[in-house]
Amino acid sequence: MIRQDRLTRTLLKPLERPGVGWMLVVGVLAVVVAFGGFAWSFMMWEGFGLTGKRWPVFWGFLITNFVFWIGISHAGTLISAILRLVNAGWRRPVTRCAEVITAFALMIGGLFPLIHLGKPWLFFWLVPYPNRRLLWPNFRSPLVWDFFAISTYLTSSLLFLFLPLIPDFALIRDQSTGLRKTIYGTLALGWRGTTQQWHRLETAMQIMAVAIIPVAVSVHTIVSFDFSMAPVPMWHSSIFGPYFVAGAIFSGIAGLIIAMAALRRVLGLQEYLEPIHFENLGKLLLTMSLLWGYFTFNERLTAWYGNDVAEMNTFAATQTGSYSPLFWTMVTVNFVIPVIILSIRRFRTITGCVIASVGIVVGMWLERFLIIVPSLGHKFLPYSWGTYSPRPVEIAITVATFAAMALLYTLFAKFVPIISIWEMRAGAHTQESAPTRESVPVDARLGESHS
Amino acid sequence: MDRRTFIKLTAVSTTATLGGCSVPGQQLIRFIPEEELKPGLAEWKPSVCPLCSAGCGLTVKVMQADVEVVKDGQHGVVTRGVAKKLEGHPAHPVSQGGLCARGQAAIQVTYHPDRLVQPLIRRGNRASGTLEPTTWDQAITELVAKLDALAGNGHQAALTILAGGRPTLRRALFDQFAAKFGAAPTVVHEVFSDDLLRYANGKSFGAAQLPTYDLGNAGFVLGFGADFLGTWNAPVAHAAAYGRMRRGRPGKRGYFVQVEGRMTQTGAVADQWVPVQPGTEGVLALGIAHVLLRDGLRPATTGRAGALIDGWASGLPEYAPEQVAAITGAKAERIVKLAHDFAGRGPAVAIVGGTPLAHTNGLFTALAVNALNELSGVVGRSGGVLFTPQLALPVAARGSLAQLVASPPQLLIVDGANPVFSAPVAMKVRDALDRIPYIVSFTNFLDETSALADLVLPDHTFLETIAEALPESGSSSAVISIAGPVMTPLFETRGAADVLIDVAGKLKSPLDLPWGSYQEMARASLAPLGDEAWTTAQKQSGWWGELPAAATTRPTAAEPKPRPVRYAAPTFSGDVGDFPYHFLPYASAALLDGSLAHLPWLQEMPDPLTSAMWSSWVEINPKTAAQLGVALGDVVEVTSTAGTLRVPAFINPAMAPDIIAMPVGQGHHSYTRYASGRGQNPLEILAPVAHPETGTLAWAATRVKVARVSDPDGRLIMFSALGELRENPLEGETR
Amino acid sequence: MAHRWGMAVDLDLCTGCGACVTACHAENNIPTVGDLQASRGRALHWMRVERYIEGEFPDVKTKYRPVMCQQCDAAPCEPVCPTYASHHNDEGLNAQVYNRCIGTRYCANACPYNTRFFEFFNSTFEKPLHLQLNPDVSVREVGVMEKCTFCVQRITAGKDVAAAAKREVKDGDIVPACAQTCPSKAITFGDLNDPESRVSQLAESPRGSKLLEDLGTRPKVTYLAGAEFA
Repeated sequence: MIRQDRLTRTLLKPLERPGVGWMLVVGVLAVVVAFGGFAWSFMMWEGFGLTGKRWPVFWGFLITNFVFWIGISHAGTLISAILRLVNAGWRRPVTRCAEVITAFALMIGGLFPLIHLGKPWLFFWLVPYPNRRLLWPNFRSPLVWDFFAISTYLTSSLLFLFLPLIPDFALIRDQSTGLRKTIYGTLALGWRGTTQQWHRLETAMQIMAVAIIPVAVSVHTIVSFDFSMAPVPMWHSSIFGPYFVAGAIFSGIAGLIIAMAALRRVLGLQEYLEPIHFENLGKLLLTMSLLWGYFTFNERLTAWYGNDVAEMNTFAATQTGSYSPLFWTMVTVNFVIPVIILSIRRFRTITGCVIASVGIVVGMWLERFLIIVPSLGHKFLPYSWGTYSPRPVEIAITVATFAAMALLYTLFAKFVPIISIWEMRAGAHTQESAPTRESVPVDARLGESHS
Repeated sequence: MDRRTFIKLTAVSTTATLGGCSVPGQQLIRFIPEEELKPGLAEWKPSVCPLCSAGCGLTVKVMQADVEVVKDGQHGVVTRGVAKKLEGHPAHPVSQGGLCARGQAAIQVTYHPDRLVQPLIRRGNRASGTLEPTTWDQAITELVAKLDALAGNGHQAALTILAGGRPTLRRALFDQFAAKFGAAPTVVHEVFSDDLLRYANGKSFGAAQLPTYDLGNAGFVLGFGADFLGTWNAPVAHAAAYGRMRRGRPGKRGYFVQVEGRMTQTGAVADQWVPVQPGTEGVLALGIAHVLLRDGLRPATTGRAGALIDGWASGLPEYAPEQVAAITGAKAERIVKLAHDFAGRGPAVAIVGGTPLAHTNGLFTALAVNALNELSGVVGRSGGVLFTPQLALPVAARGSLAQLVASPPQLLIVDGANPVFSAPVAMKVRDALDRIPYIVSFTNFLDETSALADLVLPDHTFLETIAEALPESGSSSAVISIAGPVMTPLFETRGAADVLIDVAGKLKSPLDLPWGSYQEMARASLAPLGDEAWTTAQKQSGWWGELPAAATTRPTAAEPKPRPVRYAAPTFSGDVGDFPYHFLPYASAALLDGSLAHLPWLQEMPDPLTSAMWSSWVEINPKTAAQLGVALGDVVEVTSTAGTLRVPAFINPAMAPDIIAMPVGQGHHSYTRYASGRGQNPLEILAPVAHPETGTLAWAATRVKVARVSDPDGRLIMFSALGELRENPLEGETR
Repeated sequence: MAHRWGMAVDLDLCTGCGACVTACHAENNIPTVGDLQASRGRALHWMRVERYIEGEFPDVKTKYRPVMCQQCDAAPCEPVCPTYASHHNDEGLNAQVYNRCIGTRYCANACPYNTRFFEFFNSTFEKPLHLQLNPDVSVREVGVMEKCTFCVQRITAGKDVAAAAKREVKDGDIVPACAQTCPSKAITFGDLNDPESRVSQLAESPRGSKLLEDLGTRPKVTYLAGAEFA
């Protein structure tokens, strides 16, 4: 049966024929992405020396981007999986937005282990396949762990994204004709909405929700091992695993808030992405900001108190030396501003959350940079200390990643409903038939509605 | 069939095949190899390093490679043995198996991309004309014609040869040519000339040459400003001996004190570093001598060297510790302690050279240190100062650069000298050269001076010909470094000595040079040493041993009534009010006097002090820098009475606050792609102050003022991004 | 018994002259990167002479220390290389296999001594400088890491010569370029498994210490201290 209720109509509206505005946006983003691709090709052609890397700072913008984007990808997992598991009702419009961020951020971030190689055309040597070198990859290397972790996470995230999409694909299939029907039909995998199929779907999603949490935690822990396994001052720290995971979730939620706010405005989803959602996410963000502040303070205090000679040089470089403007900016936008905005109810509006989130995205990017570069520049022998500044190809690639994210998101929202229709309907059902608490109407006034 | 025939057949048939299907310009013809080849195996052949006057013997690794050549107008490739690596010859007394960074880089002279590959002749005038390739026949005809023109007008004395500083048999041949032709005295131009020291040694010891130091047996070494482990005299030989001095004798470690205003690379490894006022090093030496005499640490001597010092016989009353302290700035107690250490550790030898002798009172300083050595009892003894016996060569008259500039010749032959770069601008060498109608150069590279030539006759490089040197020091026995060639010449060059002999024979009134070729001359020069001398040399990069008396230079006789010298403060160009700082140009570790700036390995070698590469800089003491508001890398303007430079600054604490030091080497306007237009040349702004006794440039007699100009402009490139000098916080890791 | 190659650097003999730096370039086909790339930190000085200065005028002390790959027995650069390009060979050397390197540069980050270098561009040798290239050493392409190998080509050649003569390698047969050129003979190389070798004896010297020893890398270069032990 075709249901043409308002919910379905609104949520399917973005899938209509694209207008000029959409084409323009996609066009501009595509150009920026292409420019980044061109920069990378140029790098491969001319030589890695087009970047700003140098002795002894051999990792810079490219690895910063790697860690940053893998970090952003943690949004989907937390929101989607955890909220599903605890059956939080307000998750419904949010889950797919989050899962999509994960998938695309992983794809973008996962490109960087290729981009940053000196010989990128040999990236496949990281893959364990029988080969003529008679060698497996070195399983002791954190970079090989990265390969496994990220590919596992990507696979499971795509699955986690795809499963709840099936009913929606079926819905679109049922309303389409011709080529569209065929494509969406294939993607819907023959979904008929039978009780047995629903049961299977829910079971699968439960399993995935449980399974994906440890995967997500392990991914960024393993990424953190890229640093903590090396004897570099202020890298070799046991705090890196939890620090990175917390930071990842932190940046992921911030990214999600920005994405949701943009969708709400552009696609007219005010009715479904309500202030309460932002407020809840904002509270989560506040929690993560406090947690981030805790970890950062921990890291800094132990370094300073421990007074290890080599660590203190790096420490000084970030606290008071040439990197201190970046460091204090990071602390301001990651901790000071978000805590103020998000802990005061009056400021915890959609706009407030977005402001805090933009700051956090910037701040988390800076945090990755500040972990990598000052340490590499201040290792044990002062004669070989050095600084790093990025050059145009790296900046182009960095900007292109943000454009790529926006582009992929825009394309996705054009072809797939960005809010899960069947879950929203299921939620409305639950509201209609549930006892009082659940049926409090959504109110646009700040802070007064709870779900 | 044997291998040679096989190779020939293969080569011929390949060539025929290629010729048959050749597309012009696409196929490189492979010529038949001219040599017996051993693919993949190295042969080691002896040679001699030409880059400084030490004359280190080399052993050169020669292996097979494909060389692009042009034969009879055809481009092709031939497999030849070529030099791959230079090493110090283990048997050679000067190199003793070691080789300095510059010697290692010398191989790049032969393989330099901007090396001149054929004779050049100027078309058009100097200002607008260009140097165009020509043939050897034409070039030699041209030179012969010019010389004949001079001779024809009875103007033989209007020919001058301008040569570099290394003493060689080849220079002796040039001297012969000049003498037989009737040319003006040859001008030997060295940037950092040691002639003053030679003169002083002649007076003090009868040996007008650079000294050799038996450091390996010394117990105490007292250096006065000489960078003997870095750039002065025979650094490789000194370093080998220094190694033995420190750790070559079980249980005994030699002690080393260096006295200087700016810490040289050598001074950096001293056990004690004693800064003194510029130009007062001789006073300190006599202060030590005073204490030695006063405290009976050495018996008073009445030797030749002492007699040259005023007050010597009465125990040097004017050089008591307090007086010396007042003049030098070193504390009186320190002077007394130094003297006692000097006397109490075994053979004690003093070394002087470099900056202290570049002041106007340099002669006094040299004579003072010589007297100290004599008092120490180490002249001609183990652990002391010796003079390497020198092969006697016909004494040739010498002119000075100042004379050349004052009355320029009609025809100038340049052989290994570049005064347009290395003489102060105030001497107006360039103007003088502009007034010389015809200039010929035997150079391999178009440096500033050779770029003005009208005829360029590129010499073979040292690996492609007989390489030789007559080391003045570095060994207790006489050494004649001579060996080679190591490989076939790569290009259409010719040995300069052979060209000269050829020219001499082709003149209208041919010169009576007793040899037909350079090799003949070299062999003849070794003849007094015995029949085996030449073949021995060819095997081990040189001959060394006992020179027959007849073949040794005679000592300089003592003056009957020597005029003793006394200390007079050095004078400077520029008064201290307007020009508060002493300007100290010094030979850089990589580029020496600038003659090595064209070698890329040396440009990229980090400087031992600053780690700078491809750069010029000026060194400023931290307190002075703070006063001037100058930080690392800031561009400063350095002005003397003779000129001004803009250079990035480096902050150097190992230097007195009133010294501004600058390495020599960069600032070439023309010297191949690696050096042209790079950096600044401190020699340009030196005041043309000369030593009265020798006419050599007193290059430490210029004062300057300094002003900050701007923030860093990126010209100072350092390998260690840690530009400022720092303590290594992790230092001190000992068991 | 297998060889275990090591080095001793006598800091009392080092004069900071830099001959070892240039000799290494000559022996190992290290490209000259030029002024622009040198200013961007791409110079490839496998061997470098570190210089530290302490104090203020007139009480200034300067120290030189030649630093090259320490061929650590517990090298932090080895476990992190995903392709085994950095690995330990059976003579104790940390071998860098250019053909396996894909240029992640993790090894360079892990090396506490900063003795690993990266080819940022393809090496160029303007003709005829290419004639100087040592045929026994690879010319590295862009994107790979490189470092001091203790002149492994000389080690191999030395072993070949000894094997051909049907004898053992003698102490002093194999000399890396830096040790050979050093005018004051500050650098000694040899087999640490041969108790009679000079390097073994120097490694036991009371003047000896290892650089950054407390990091646990177990380097095979012993530095002999200078004047304090006069």
